[in-house]
Amino acid sequence: MRYTSFTPYDFVLLAQGLGVSLALFLATSLIGLVIGTIWAVIRFYRVPVLTPFIAFLAELLKNSPVLVQLFLVFFGLPALLKINVTPVEAAVITLSGNTAAFIYVIAVSAIESIGRDQIESARVFGLSRWQVLHHIIAPQAMAFAVGPLTGLLVNQLQVTSLISVIGVVDLTKIGNILNLRTLKPFIVWTIVGGLYYVTAKLVALGGAMLEKRLRAHTAWKGL
Amino acid sequence: MIRARGVRKSFGSAIVLDGIDLDVESGEVVSILGSSGSGKSTLIRCMNGLEKLDAGSITIDDFDVSRPKDLAEARKRSATVFQLFNLYPHMTAVQNITLAPIQVLKRSRAEAEAAARTLLDSVGLGARADAYPAQLSGGQRQRVGICRALAMNPRYLLLDEITSALDPEMTAEVLNILAQLAKNGTTMVFVTHEIEFARTISSRIVFLDKGQLVVDLPTEEFFAADGGMARPRISQFLSKMRKD
Amino acid sequence: MPFDVTILAPHVPFLLKGALLTAEACALALVGSLIIGLLVAALRTSSSPLLSRAAFVYVDLFRNIPFIVQLFFFFYGLPEIGIYVDAFTTGVIALSIAGGAFSSDVIRSGILAIDTGIIEAAEVSGLSKPVIFRKIVMPIALRTSIRPLGSVFINLVLTSSILSTITLNELTGSAKIVASDTFRPFEVYAVLLIAYASLTYLVSLAIGVLHRRLNRDRMPEVA
Ligand SMILES: Nc1ncnc2c1ncn2[C@@H]1O[C@H](COP(=O)(O)OP(=O)(O)OP(=O)(O)O)[C@@H](O)[C@H]1O
Ligand SMILES: [Mg+2]
Repeated sequence: MRYTSFTPYDFVLLAQGLGVSLALFLATSLIGLVIGTIWAVIRFYRVPVLTPFIAFLAELLKNSPVLVQLFLVFFGLPALLKINVTPVEAAVITLSGNTAAFIYVIAVSAIESIGRDQIESARVFGLSRWQVLHHIIAPQAMAFAVGPLTGLLVNQLQVTSLISVIGVVDLTKIGNILNLRTLKPFIVWTIVGGLYYVTAKLVALGGAMLEKRLRAHTAWKGL
Repeated sequence: MIRARGVRKSFGSAIVLDGIDLDVESGEVVSILGSSGSGKSTLIRCMNGLEKLDAGSITIDDFDVSRPKDLAEARKRSATVFQLFNLYPHMTAVQNITLAPIQVLKRSRAEAEAAARTLLDSVGLGARADAYPAQLSGGQRQRVGICRALAMNPRYLLLDEITSALDPEMTAEVLNILAQLAKNGTTMVFVTHEIEFARTISSRIVFLDKGQLVVDLPTEEFFAADGGMARPRISQFLSKMRKD
Repeated sequence: MPFDVTILAPHVPFLLKGALLTAEACALALVGSLIIGLLVAALRTSSSPLLSRAAFVYVDLFRNIPFIVQLFFFFYGLPEIGIYVDAFTTGVIALSIAGGAFSSDVIRSGILAIDTGIIEAAEVSGLSKPVIFRKIVMPIALRTSIRPLGSVFINLVLTSSILSTITLNELTGSAKIVASDTFRPFEVYAVLLIAYASLTYLVSLAIGVLHRRLNRDRMPEVA
């Protein structure tokens, strides 16, 4: 197999790898979005014990390498709990948790951006905390958060490349395989890098379009 | 001498300087008056090379500010004091003053610092020599700004509304220094709204209106014109200024 | 096997050696990214459209391609073109280039935030462009960007864990060895995670102190 040049089949491999990367990216972003938002809501309700715990957990996840988090889940959990964790499971758990931590931070600052006085005055009108969250905070926070969210997603897309280290056959892993087989590192990593680049640009473009629509929406309502 | 000939400058479609001719001889103090937007700042900025002329020329001791080769020499001979001080925020007063003498005039640090401290003493800031701009009052900052300009031993001092960001007390601090400089024969081009002060220190007054130099008279004649001669635009301007 | 960190005690010196290597790599990469960042920021804010375009392309590429892909590009690619450097050097180069892209963005906004009047004052006093950049633009931009540069540096520290994938036994690489020697991956990676989080926390504290010290001249004097 050594010193073999590229074959048309390699494009299928690359496409497959990109598909795996994208699927895991989308899945973990979605899970992370849900979990991170729940964490922020818990904080909004000032649930005792849970609130400080979540704040601590988020700090820990934000301030440690994703690679180490991956190792902890993939190698550590099975050893501790005597369970079986596949590479994909480890990837989903780790990336979702990591994304959740960043979403939590964005959501908290989005909620805080709305300002206590708006929340207080709504409460004075007799709205419940949930009604305030649902009708007053959520729509505004969403518009506020799209920009930072886009930045986060572009970043998290790149973070997915780390799961290749624990054996998930994503785009980077395909790069490794092709690199070993063809021994043409410049070509292989340029193609792989290019695919990531284009995907990142598409994510950023999507975010920008969404932001524009949300902005237009809020501006319209404001009139 | 500073010599402006047929200076034109527009921003987009707005003509800001519309053919200015002006000579400033050594030892003169020329005040430039004119209502807001008449082009005073733009004229100063053309003199120190911050704006490119569209047409005409400005020379400082025969060095043409429009020629890149001459500009450096022209800038060595003139120095500017700004309305908003524009001190370097990360440097102390002394450092603000010594930077250009060391870098441009190649003075030794010791020499430049001694000169800077003497200058600061002369404007009453000897004790604040090592303070940063943020630690100084507006009037003190502008005095540092003047020292920074003087440290280059310029033949010509260009001053653009250097007291308009200051309250009256601080304005007095700064104007006193200018009066002193004028007495010592420093050549100055002085854009101001302080009419009475201009009257006391200037040898000549020029009046800009819509980008044109409509009056260029010795100070006494200029203010005589205010007395009802056929210069309604000046009278109108002066009476408005005095009301403020 | 219950959770028990004490079994790591004999491996602490080995881990510290890894931590030292991480510190060295990060310190060198910090210097490298600052130099590159300053240079690229200068190009991006220069009046030449060609140079600023080239600088933009560099930043855009290296910000949107996963670091591990960049690392493999250099690690496998450099020998291909006859440059044989060790993993440590490769890692530092790759970290500097990626860090440089992020730093240059931060420094660029620092430059753009400088009051133009200050630059004009320097120009009319006859200072040359290089002197203005060195003595005025650079120090002001760096001072105002200390905090965001600190975040870039913290990310650099976290990213340096990826150097373990090119056979470098820095902190994460050493931990991998300890984990497989002791069969206690959970303890090892849990401690490692806390170690990184504490390290970055200390770095962020240091940045706060540095920020206050460097910007003391912007604050009124304490009487
Ligand atoms: N960089 C620029 N771009 C566009 N227009 C400008 C620029 N600089 C000045 N102008 C315009 O040129 C005109 C003259 O401006 P200038 O600052 O020279 O007036 P001025 O006489 O100094 O006024 P003031 O007394 O308010 O300082 C104004 O209408 C101003 O808006
Ligand atoms: Mg003006």
